Amino acid sequence: MKKSTQQLYNERILRVLILIQKNLDAEMPLNELARAAHFSPYHFHRIFRGMVGESLKEHIRRLRLERAALRLKHTDRSVLEIALEAGYETHEAFSRAFRSLCGCSPSGFRSDNSRICGANAPGVHYRENGSMAEFELTTGGKTMDVRVEHLEPMRVAFVRHVGPYSQVGKAWEKLCARLGREGLLAGGTRFVGVCYDDPEVTAPEKLRYDACVTVDEDFEAEGEVGVQTICGGEYAVVTHFGPYEDLGRTYGQLYGRWMPQNGRQPRSEPCLEFYLNDPDGTDPEDLLTDIYAPLEPVS
Amino acid sequence: MADSEKIDLYKQYKDQYAAPKSPVLVTLDQVRYLCISGRGAPGGPEFKDKVGALYGAAYTIKMTRKFASLQDYVICKLEAQWWLDGGKQDFADVPREQWNWKLMIRTPEVVGEDELQRAQSVLTQKGKSPRVSEVKLETIREGLCVQMLHVGPYEQENRTIAVMEDFAAQQGMGFHGLHHEIYLSDPRRVPPERLKTILRHPVTKKDHRSSK
Repeated sequence: MKKSTQQLYNERILRVLILIQKNLDAEMPLNELARAAHFSPYHFHRIFRGMVGESLKEHIRRLRLERAALRLKHTDRSVLEIALEAGYETHEAFSRAFRSLCGCSPSGFRSDNSRICGANAPGVHYRENGSMAEFELTTGGKTMDVRVEHLEPMRVAFVRHVGPYSQVGKAWEKLCARLGREGLLAGGTRFVGVCYDDPEVTAPEKLRYDACVTVDEDFEAEGEVGVQTICGGEYAVVTHFGPYEDLGRTYGQLYGRWMPQNGRQPRSEPCLEFYLNDPDGTDPEDLLTDIYAPLEPVS
Repeated sequence: MADSEKIDLYKQYKDQYAAPKSPVLVTLDQVRYLCISGRGAPGGPEFKDKVGALYGAAYTIKMTRKFASLQDYVICKLEAQWWLDGGKQDFADVPREQWNWKLMIRTPEVVGEDELQRAQSVLTQKGKSPRVSEVKLETIREGLCVQMLHVGPYEQENRTIAVMEDFAAQQGMGFHGLHHEIYLSDPRRVPPERLKTILRHPVTKKDHRSSK
C-alpha cells in the first residue's frame, strides 16, 4: 500500500520535472505545475522540495543558469544576451547569480571553457620543449565522421536517474526488467539516454539522465517508469567508439570542433545517446554509441 | 549482491573461447544454446529477422528473470553453425541463398524450457518478433575442435580455414561436423578488414583407409 503511494508520487513529480524542462523560459505558476501533476497546490511546495532536494524556484533558477553556462561555452552570443535569456534584467544580477553557482564570472567562465577555440584545435601550435622553437601542425587526431539527421519525435518509456553518469546502470536495470518481462525489448526497440546536463557545468550529484526505450502508443506510465516524447528535429550525429567514460571527449570534439567549423549552433534541447550494443557482454573498447546533438536551424 | 553472482559464461569457460592467431585444439563438452535455424544469404531478410527473434527471446528471458530477482547472467555473443546441402564443403561453390545456418546464443543451464515458452508467448502476443516461435533450447556437443581467430571480412575466411585444416592434418586429424563461428565484432560498425571472428571446426582422428 505504502509503496504504491510512493510510486504515484514519483510518477507525478517526474511529470513536473519534464514540464519544467520543456518550458524553462515560461513563467510557470506553481498552481499550474501542481495541477498538471495532480498535487494539491497547498502542499506542492513541500512535496517538491522534499523529493527533488531544492525548492521549485531554486530548481528553475539553477537550470536556467546552467543553460546559460552552456551557451557561454558553446555560442558567441554576448553575456548580456545570455543573461536576458536566463531571466536576469542586468549583467550585474546575472554575474552575481552565476558566480554563486559556478564560482567565477560569466566572462571568466567563457574564456576558461570556451570550446570554440579549444587548446586541441587543429592548426599550428607553438611547442616549448626541444632545443629550438618548433611549430607543430596537429590535425587533432582522426577526423570525425559527423552526419546531420532529421529525427522524428519518439515516444519512450523512461526511468529517471539523478546523480553521476557512472551510476546510470541502475535506471537501466529497472527499466529493462519491467519492459523486458512484458516482451517490449524486441523488434527494433531503441535504447536511448537523454542527457539534460553538461557534466562540466552541473555538479555530479545533480546530473539528470533518462534511460529510455522506444514504446508504442498503448504503453502506459506506472510508478518509476514514466512516458515522454523525445524531441524531434535536426541533430548532428557522431558514433563514439569505446568506453562510456570517454564519451565526454567525443562530445567535446562535436561541440568544439565540428559545430564551429560547420557554422552550426546547438539547440537548447537535451543531447541523446543511442546505445548500439549491450554493455554487459561487450568489451568497453567495442562499445558503440551514437551521440545526437540537437542543432539550431540554419539561419 | 546479485551483481557479483552474475553468470558470465565467456569468463567461466575462457579456454573454450580462445582466439589465437594460430590454430589450437579445444574440447567442447555439452553446451546449451538458444537457437534458430534458417537458410539464405547471411545478412539477407530471413537472416536478419531470425537474428532479431533470437535476441528478442534471449533478452525477454533474461529480463523476466531479473524482474523476478532470479539468477542473472550476461547474454553471450552471437554464434552460428553453417552447412551446405548434400554434405558439400566448399561454400564458394554454392550460391549464398542456399547456405544453411543455425544462429546460437550460449545460455546458462539455469534457464528452463518453460521460461523460453513464456517469452515466446509474451513476444507473440505483442506481435514483436513473428519468428520467435522457431527459437529452441538445444544442447550441442562438438567434442574436440580446431579453433582460430579470423581477422578480416567473412568472405576471406577460406584462408584461415585452410590453415586450420592443415593444422588438423599435421595431428593426423580431419574436419567433420559443422563449421562454427563466434562473432566478436559488430559488423554494423566495424570495418570488414577489422572484423574479429572465432572459427571452430570439430575434428576426428583420420583412419587410414579414408586418408589415402
